[in-house]
Amino acid sequence: MTDSSDALASARAVADRIVKAKRLNACLTPIKELRKALVAQAPAAHPSGVLYGMPVAVKDNICTLEFTTGCGSKILEGYRSPYDATAVAKLKVAGALVAGKTNCDEFGMGSSTEHSAYGRSLHPFDKTRVPGGSSGGSAALVAAGAVPAALGSETGGSVRQPASLCGVVGIKPTYGRVSRYGLVAFGSSLDQIGVLGRSVHDAARVLSVISGRDPKDATCEDRDPLRLPTVPESLQGFVIGIPKEYFASDLDPAVRRACDRAIRLFKEQGAALRDVSLPHTAYAVATYYIIAPAEASSNLARYDGARYGPRFNGAVDVRALYRTTRGEGFGAEVRRRVLVGTYVLSSGYYDAYYRKAQQMRALIAQDFRNAFDRGVDLLFTPTTPTPAFKAGEKLNDPVAMYLSDIFTVTANLAGLPAISIPIGRIKGLPIGGQFIGQAFLEDEMLEAAYALERVVPATEEA
Amino acid sequence: MSVTHDEVRKIARLAELDVSEDALPVLAEQMSRILEYVAQIDAVPASEAVKPFVPGPDAVRFRADEVKPAPLAFGPDQLAPAFRDGFFVVPKLGQFEDAEA
Repeated sequence: MTDSSDALASARAVADRIVKAKRLNACLTPIKELRKALVAQAPAAHPSGVLYGMPVAVKDNICTLEFTTGCGSKILEGYRSPYDATAVAKLKVAGALVAGKTNCDEFGMGSSTEHSAYGRSLHPFDKTRVPGGSSGGSAALVAAGAVPAALGSETGGSVRQPASLCGVVGIKPTYGRVSRYGLVAFGSSLDQIGVLGRSVHDAARVLSVISGRDPKDATCEDRDPLRLPTVPESLQGFVIGIPKEYFASDLDPAVRRACDRAIRLFKEQGAALRDVSLPHTAYAVATYYIIAPAEASSNLARYDGARYGPRFNGAVDVRALYRTTRGEGFGAEVRRRVLVGTYVLSSGYYDAYYRKAQQMRALIAQDFRNAFDRGVDLLFTPTTPTPAFKAGEKLNDPVAMYLSDIFTVTANLAGLPAISIPIGRIKGLPIGGQFIGQAFLEDEMLEAAYALERVVPATEEA
Repeated sequence: MSVTHDEVRKIARLAELDVSEDALPVLAEQMSRILEYVAQIDAVPASEAVKPFVPGPDAVRFRADEVKPAPLAFGPDQLAPAFRDGFFVVPKLGQFEDAEA
């Protein structure tokens, strides 16, 4: 793409592709508004930017000036942020076009995008199934070919899990690699903006642009943006750890076959394989579902009808205003997590739940350090225990829904980078494999991902 | 771990969240199952020596404490539902008969 007329043509084509994918309910921005915004952005995009003219959709919990930021919630319906998230501002400087807001579970809480106040998103291959979540709209839009990349956010796997279920690439960077400024907070010690892309290269290019220091976020590391690695000839010199806890005897046989095929390809590519153990993995989901709701109950206190959220008429005093606003405005899953979070932080339960979970988190992080200290460069695991499940299947069983994050939450708890890559199909549905890397060594992780992507038969049955 | 209806009411009060009486049985049952599931971490002995893990920079960085205009892309007149003569216009929370008289 060389000039603004090309960018304009690209902007119009993107809008057309998003219209075609409308049935997925993946893009929340009304199409008229989207066309107008894209056409306005195209001539202003800087031609020397590394992402010039590239459309990037943005999850509804990341602030944008052009579009509303509703977080998939009724309580923020119509909310317009007065600023761009740093990640979005960096995309614009790089010449990318912000291609609308994508559907998600309310405030990022969910694994199916069924917990959105704006209706569920559909899986692009099978409308009776879910695209995963919480960044399900971003994943579905990329999988449908509407955009080459989209921003998502992760607290416990919300980029990688939908990427696995929709057959696209999903990257969760190291905690502190990408600024959280303008990402609506859910679990502040876990949240990171991530990228979904149709290929490793597309996702990595976007990650490189949005990464790097930001004085507006004290949890963002003072580091240069990520430098993209070159595509390696082989995996010679890589030591890839296979953690036994992720390949338990009850793992879905088809998921195991897909992973085994990928592992064979690592060997053929010259990588050394090593069995490793991460003994506290079994407690990761339990640990996560104490820490994340606890942080959520605190972060979401601001939605009270005074600071944020609609005011419901008829409240007799200010506390009634808070309670009716929150009771009416939050959906079922958010209410559940706020209650669980308040419970585990309340007097008498804090030590038994929250303090213990913090200790477990330290043990889980130590497991990873031990594996990496023994010379392992990367870990390889399945991303999800199953392919996309049916809509409604886990909606009334929160614990079953939580367990779909069983292979992803550990990287969030330990603050490590991870990437999901499509590695095959199971009865026509995609499934992903995951690399977990060492903190701030995304370049190494991306090299391995490039090498796997080149050889893995991602669209063939496992 | 069984959460009672009264406990849900109490937690909902702490969380400033309206929970209808009809929703109590389902919430109590789901909270009980979640808390029962997460309680499995009790099986792991963790000594007091285990320090909590906090990701991110070792030290919080501070910006220079300078007075600057708020970096808003839109002025408050564009953001607020009602804005007049430099003030936000809000509904009255209460009225005093004496003052009205």
